[in-house]
Amino acid sequence: MGTAVSIEVADARPSSELGELIADVCRWLREVDARFSTYKPDSEVMRLRRGEITAAEGSEDLRHVLSACADLWRDTDGYFDAYAGGALDPSGYVKGWSVEVASARLAAAGSANHYINAGGDIRMRGHHPDGGPWRVGIRHPWEADKLSWVLALTDGAVATSGTYERGDHVINPRTGKPARGLRSVTVVGPDLSLADAYATAALAMGEPGLAWLSKIATDGYDSAVVTDDGRAFSSANLPAAV
Amino acid sequence: MRRSTAAAVGTLTGAALIVGVRLSVQPPAAPAAAPPSTSLVDNPAPAATSKKPAGTAGAAGKKTTEPAKNKSGLKDGTFKGKGATNPYGTVQVTLRIADGKITAVDATYPTAGNSATINPVAIPKLKQETLQAQSAKVAAVSGATYTSQSYQESLQAALDSAKA
Repeated sequence: MGTAVSIEVADARPSSELGELIADVCRWLREVDARFSTYKPDSEVMRLRRGEITAAEGSEDLRHVLSACADLWRDTDGYFDAYAGGALDPSGYVKGWSVEVASARLAAAGSANHYINAGGDIRMRGHHPDGGPWRVGIRHPWEADKLSWVLALTDGAVATSGTYERGDHVINPRTGKPARGLRSVTVVGPDLSLADAYATAALAMGEPGLAWLSKIATDGYDSAVVTDDGRAFSSANLPAAV
Repeated sequence: MRRSTAAAVGTLTGAALIVGVRLSVQPPAAPAAAPPSTSLVDNPAPAATSKKPAGTAGAAGKKTTEPAKNKSGLKDGTFKGKGATNPYGTVQVTLRIADGKITAVDATYPTAGNSATINPVAIPKLKQETLQAQSAKVAAVSGATYTSQSYQESLQAALDSAKA
């Protein structure tokens, strides 16, 4: 995925056990990378692209990813599009999903308190070692060392998409042109795979994404947005830290 | 709030107009000599009828299936209203009539351009606030970090190195 992943496990357990938990997360993320990377010619995704396998012959995870991408395409009015660049590229879903699964694996292995941050997309459970909720900052879209919001969460996901990082890299799949209007979109909700995809889709929508985000807020996905001209917006239940 | 409320009202008005036209006036070009047009007893939609002359109504609707006569005077079939355009896009109402009764009313909402994402139901808008630039103590930072280079320069990297 070419992304730095930060993992903090805050359970009161021997450091050898914590190390094993983190090693398991890393194994899983490497496995996902090997199977879904569009940079690895022998990944399942690339074999599917070349027609060497059909979707039905793919792994259960591959079929899940394809089906989730199709659902997201519908739920975002086509703005989340795994085929936006022509060929299948589910990376926009796989990143958030792989971290969501990694956190679930940690929880299943008995870790009640941890966070995983993959390239700015975060899934957390439980509490900070100090006992309070996890405090998560949202990067300021112009000042890299400043925060535009601070959130407090005990269980949930935070995903941010922005045009400040890769410039014109985010494409509006309807026009094929770079997305315009929104500079940073953060979505907060229970599931990182959806929060990440929603943030990407809203960014691609541009300013109409504000209205779309207010719609998904009723499904439990809150948001914080900064427009190209520096206006800031947030949904009513954004879990801002006090 | 104001914008989405306006959208809902605009949509409903458009729908009422189209439904009224379709129910109360037979298209003059209809091949079968149907009995004189009959308004719906329970829902006559008089405002829409009086404002739309019959000629306009004929142009406004398009039959998509062959009509069949029945005792209520409403032709069976599926009827599509002409699209009603409001600032958010075009809304088209489809009416299905079977046995002289309305069995289904559907409306299509804007599916193209910027309007596609705007739902006609009034929903709370995101609230505007002042953009902050703060340096608070946090455990993790969410941001658009796509490359390892940008990770190196990120606040999260600084947090990680402070812990390591």
